[in-house]
Amino acid sequence: MALLLALSLAMFSVSVMPYVKVLGVTPDLVLIFAACWAVIRGQNEAWLVVPAAGFLRDLATSDPLGTSALALIPIVILAAAVRMRALESDFLPTIAVVGAGSIAYGLISMAVLGATGQHIEVGQALFRVILASAVVNSLFTPVLYLPIKWLSPPPGPAVLGSRRISSTL
Amino acid sequence: MRLIWWAGTVLAISLISIILSHQHALDPIENLSLTATAPVEESLRNLASPVNDIIDGITDRGGLARENEQLRAENEALRVQLAEQQNLEQLLVEAEQALEVKQSRPEDLLLAANVIAQDPSGFKRQIAINRGLSDNVDEGMAVLSENGSLIGTVSRAYQDFAWVRLVTDPDSVVNAQVNLTTIQPLEGTQPQVLIPETPASPTPAPSPNVLEDPSPTPAPPEPSFVRGVAEGDLRSGIVLDLPSGATVEQGDLVVTSGLGGNYRRALLIGTIKSVDNQLQSPFTRTTLEPATDLGVLDTVLVLISFRPARLEGP
Repeated sequence: MALLLALSLAMFSVSVMPYVKVLGVTPDLVLIFAACWAVIRGQNEAWLVVPAAGFLRDLATSDPLGTSALALIPIVILAAAVRMRALESDFLPTIAVVGAGSIAYGLISMAVLGATGQHIEVGQALFRVILASAVVNSLFTPVLYLPIKWLSPPPGPAVLGSRRISSTL
Repeated sequence: MRLIWWAGTVLAISLISIILSHQHALDPIENLSLTATAPVEESLRNLASPVNDIIDGITDRGGLARENEQLRAENEALRVQLAEQQNLEQLLVEAEQALEVKQSRPEDLLLAANVIAQDPSGFKRQIAINRGLSDNVDEGMAVLSENGSLIGTVSRAYQDFAWVRLVTDPDSVVNAQVNLTTIQPLEGTQPQVLIPETPASPTPAPSPNVLEDPSPTPAPPEPSFVRGVAEGDLRSGIVLDLPSGATVEQGDLVVTSGLGGNYRRALLIGTIKSVDNQLQSPFTRTTLEPATDLGVLDTVLVLISFRPARLEGP
């Protein structure tokens, strides 16, 4: 199901989303999906779903195949770090992962594209693309967070993290 | 520890994949993927386009009315120019027939293609079209809008599909020229003749410091164009750097110059939107308004009859 959803979002990203421009950038649905899935569903699923979503995204875009899989690695690491803390809701951590993950994703993509011959003006790319993407992706997080949360089973105490202390009293 | 192993594995696979993809080794996979997803993507684009138009119409009603008024005025002016142009064209044909001159450029052969996708990356401005190597489309070929203005270049060609780098992409570089509407010589460029103030003697000796030409040759005519390089820019769209002091103004037409042999000559790129003429700068920096709206392209034309220099080889 996750891969089908990722494929649909990758196709949606290159067909419909280019019409949606906020702050001059297009929200990256695949990135938001990967971050939401990693935070809500946990590491074991994220290890397979996130790189697969990256490869599916690259198949739909003009990026060299593997760029997104590489650039999405920090999202899994950030999600793992976030899940180590027990919190009442994982909505705010998801937004934080999307924002920070967008910056990491942008920097890695920029490095890969630069290495493969694409002309990149670092100053413009940082402010007009990477920071703008972090803000816009964070704003669009609820669009995917809510359906994924709804589809996911409620987490048990063990899933919430090792720091939670449960008592039988 | 498992996380580190996982990250290392994905990193290795990704890097190998990027290298293979960059060397076109994975083109069949990418072509197959586009073949499978293109119908859905095209349908989604066709559905989204009218919705986008409606939303734009609602949110920018005042702007559209102003633009409509401006376009009507521009249309009228262009019709007048067209009438003059047709007259000149007729005269040219007659002259060619009279001189038995063969037309130097054959008719353009254009291949229509549908836009199936647009790259969502903020670093690039690229679109995918449903024509590829099997349709004689090759990397480097110029791509035009339905009305014939330049919109970009084929950057990557698969068997049945191709990615087109738009003129607004930061990688896009086009040799361009501004066609000046009127020829205005720059101030101070007229040749000056210095005459000595005291020519007392009846047969004055010629002075080596005095430049006097009794029969000055006519000054060469000012060129009716200025050449520069049009580059894509993430912020401004297209930036055109011209020699300092170039007398261009807003609304001047910018076309391909044909220099370098990568584009056919006289393809319309756009019009000058703004001119930044700073005294200290070695260039006059202008920004261009593309001739067509690059955000809503549905059908494009690939100029397959013109082989760019980069494809011809040495």
